Amino acid sequence: MTVSQSKTQGTPAAQSATELEYEGLWRVVVLNDPVNLMSYVVLVFKKVFGFDETTARKHMLEVHEQGRSVVWSGMREKAEAYAFTLQQWHLTTVLEQDDVR
Amino acid sequence: MKRIEVKLALPVVAPLLDVIKGMADGLRSNLAAPLGPMDLDADFSAAWAGELLEAQNADVAALLAMFNDEFFAEGVIAFDEDNAEQIVRATAAVRLRLREHYLKPLGDETLESGNVELERLDEPLRKAFMCYLFLATIQELIIQHLDSSMLDS
Repeated sequence: MTVSQSKTQGTPAAQSATELEYEGLWRVVVLNDPVNLMSYVVLVFKKVFGFDETTARKHMLEVHEQGRSVVWSGMREKAEAYAFTLQQWHLTTVLEQDDVR
Repeated sequence: MKRIEVKLALPVVAPLLDVIKGMADGLRSNLAAPLGPMDLDADFSAAWAGELLEAQNADVAALLAMFNDEFFAEGVIAFDEDNAEQIVRATAAVRLRLREHYLKPLGDETLESGNVELERLDEPLRKAFMCYLFLATIQELIIQHLDSSMLDS
């Protein structure tokens, strides 16, 4: 993904600062919206993460009933790529740093 | 290639196209879904939003292209493996924009349940809500029939 690649470029000093910032785990969180259909959200989760139907539905219901679902966690760069893709599908998505390291 | 053709009632759907086109105009320079906090620097954030907007515009163009000469002559629209993904995303974008511009007075609970007495709505709101339902139907049709094609692509 072009956008993610651009973040890691820059001066060496900036790069090391960025690398530090990238340490730790990041959560990709999808937030509820009143518009997108349940079947659509399930499709997106299956498509983006390769979830099976049961897992995709579990996350969709979490979003619907609890307002949010952590759909992936891991390294920052990959989390950004997932967040970008989910936003391309118009799901409201945020990144959160996992405090537990 | 799997292809689905749907025959629509022209007198019902044609008037909704003005609403869809109006929303499409707004989507040229605005993202359909808000960007949540991402902890990105300003330049990166602008590049991120720019790429999303470019993709969104391509999707919306695919949706509008569905209403071609065949639609105006015979009321037929068609989806296949090539355009299904873009149209599904574009319908989501236009529906989000419809909520932002017309449907907020209905309230989110009503929007989620879909329980709306159409005859009680004034003309612009009714037309916007019919458009919202129409696009949901298109989206459901595609998901129902082309789900596996989209997952394999």
